[in-house]
Amino acid sequence: MRFSRILMLALLALVAGVAIAFLTPSSSLLGLFAQAVIYAIFALGVGVLLRQNGLTSFGHALFFGAAGYAMGVILTLDWFSAEIAIFVVLLGIGVLAFLIGLVIVRVPGIAFGMLTLAIGQMAYLLATRSRGLTGGADGMSIPWPSTLFGVKQSVLLKPDVLFLIVWTVLIVVTLAVVWLLRTRFGSITEAVRDNEERARFIGITTTVPRALVYAMSAVVTGVAGVMSSLNTGFISPESLHWSVSGIALVMVVVGGFKSVIGPILGAIVYFLFKELLGDFATYWMAIFGAALIAVIVFSPDGIAGALERLMKPRHTRANATSKSGH
Amino acid sequence: MTSYVLETRDVAIHYGGVKALDGVSLTLGKGQILGLIGPNGAGKSTVIDAITGRRPLTRGQVILDGQDVSQLGAVERRRLGLSRSFQRTSIFGGMPVRKQVELASYKMGMSDSAADAEAVLEELDLARLGNVMAEDLGYGEQRRLDLALALVGRPKMLMLDEPMAGLSVKESHDLAQHLKALTSRWEVSVLLVEHDMDVVFGISDVVTVFELGRVIANGAPAQVRADPRVREAYLGSSA
Repeated sequence: MRFSRILMLALLALVAGVAIAFLTPSSSLLGLFAQAVIYAIFALGVGVLLRQNGLTSFGHALFFGAAGYAMGVILTLDWFSAEIAIFVVLLGIGVLAFLIGLVIVRVPGIAFGMLTLAIGQMAYLLATRSRGLTGGADGMSIPWPSTLFGVKQSVLLKPDVLFLIVWTVLIVVTLAVVWLLRTRFGSITEAVRDNEERARFIGITTTVPRALVYAMSAVVTGVAGVMSSLNTGFISPESLHWSVSGIALVMVVVGGFKSVIGPILGAIVYFLFKELLGDFATYWMAIFGAALIAVIVFSPDGIAGALERLMKPRHTRANATSKSGH
Repeated sequence: MTSYVLETRDVAIHYGGVKALDGVSLTLGKGQILGLIGPNGAGKSTVIDAITGRRPLTRGQVILDGQDVSQLGAVERRRLGLSRSFQRTSIFGGMPVRKQVELASYKMGMSDSAADAEAVLEELDLARLGNVMAEDLGYGEQRRLDLALALVGRPKMLMLDEPMAGLSVKESHDLAQHLKALTSRWEVSVLLVEHDMDVVFGISDVVTVFELGRVIANGAPAQVRADPRVREAYLGSSA
């Protein structure tokens, strides 16, 4: 698909977001939508890692929670203005993840997953034990200023405004990811994922691109963390817990990791299940689990994969040959 | 000053007490084809691994165009012009043909990677399949794509590990003739590991025979074919 068409779709999505914000009658429902969108950004980050590196992270809550804690600490200690703090936090997360990535992306498969789990749980314990700085298990409030980017907090935190902000951020981040994956960098990371040895023998250094993908996915997850801290004004060690990483991973699997949009769909489905079934069934997660099994069995490439198959036939060799023009 | 494109001096790779390669010295001139034959386990693929930096040397040197590359990694050696294909087809299955060849050309630092990729695709009759996903290609086409990835960036030295494996007789014959033509048109030297003796003796300028990690014969094809040690060790009395 041409990027201009993707931009058009993004514009349509933006209009749809405005419609949702104005047509949704309930503030609590809008709040839930905002939470779903924040998790969609989170899942997008986890999905990018799986799509481009072929690596499964069980510890991305590290970057989700760290973004909130970093915002909280910086604003509490008044190091930077909130606007600058957002960029500093995201940059810091990118650099930190790149350095971690340089070490751990060399480890294949399940061992990589276990390493991410270990690092994530270390951060969870650190946040729990550092009572003086983080409030320990009680968590900490994030002292957002009365105005952010010139907008009053009272306006910013209105459910419809907040929803529109996170919706717009989701669209911008998704566009940025899609653009980046269409550059030469995207091709290099695909090559490394598909066949690392062959990649080396066409002159590609394989560790740095993988570490950069890890950093990129961490920054996307960090954006979700910043949005979440703005939404709740609070952060606790629970945000760093492995189960949060697990939820994001489930969203990715349900939505499908082969397309960029898949994890976003997964997050939406997850929250729909939670909202629709949560009122009727205490153990709604069990029902969601059954749905997860069904997706894995019947459509291993998730909802996005199923939709793609429904909307267009497989890109056959015959039509690819005719399009090549040679 | 040497006139060889590739020279290995006393190259050895030992795994504990096992000598996969034991003092291998080879030379190859510009545009030459060196056919490397020997029974399974003789060390033919290992010598390619040693030259390309896939496996570290226990001792010895690898000289490319007068430069000692023994201490360089695989990526650096590839950029200097040491290229290879693999025994099992090694391509990027989830990527269209043209995209991966162009990417390889770009990583080789070609100023016009699109033009270089197109030239390679034309050379190997893959241009019409440029938009096809590599995983959708037939086996013979995948082998040619493997060769295309090795050929981008105008390498000085091409090492092919059983490129005819799994091909029909006609495909093997066509590819052999193609290789012969390539060496003069692209000024590339070829080290060819192959079990098809008709191909090896038909297109090689020099044939080297390996047994148990050592060179047991080396010379012009007719000379090697007539060597009693080679006949006994590998070719058999009917060769």
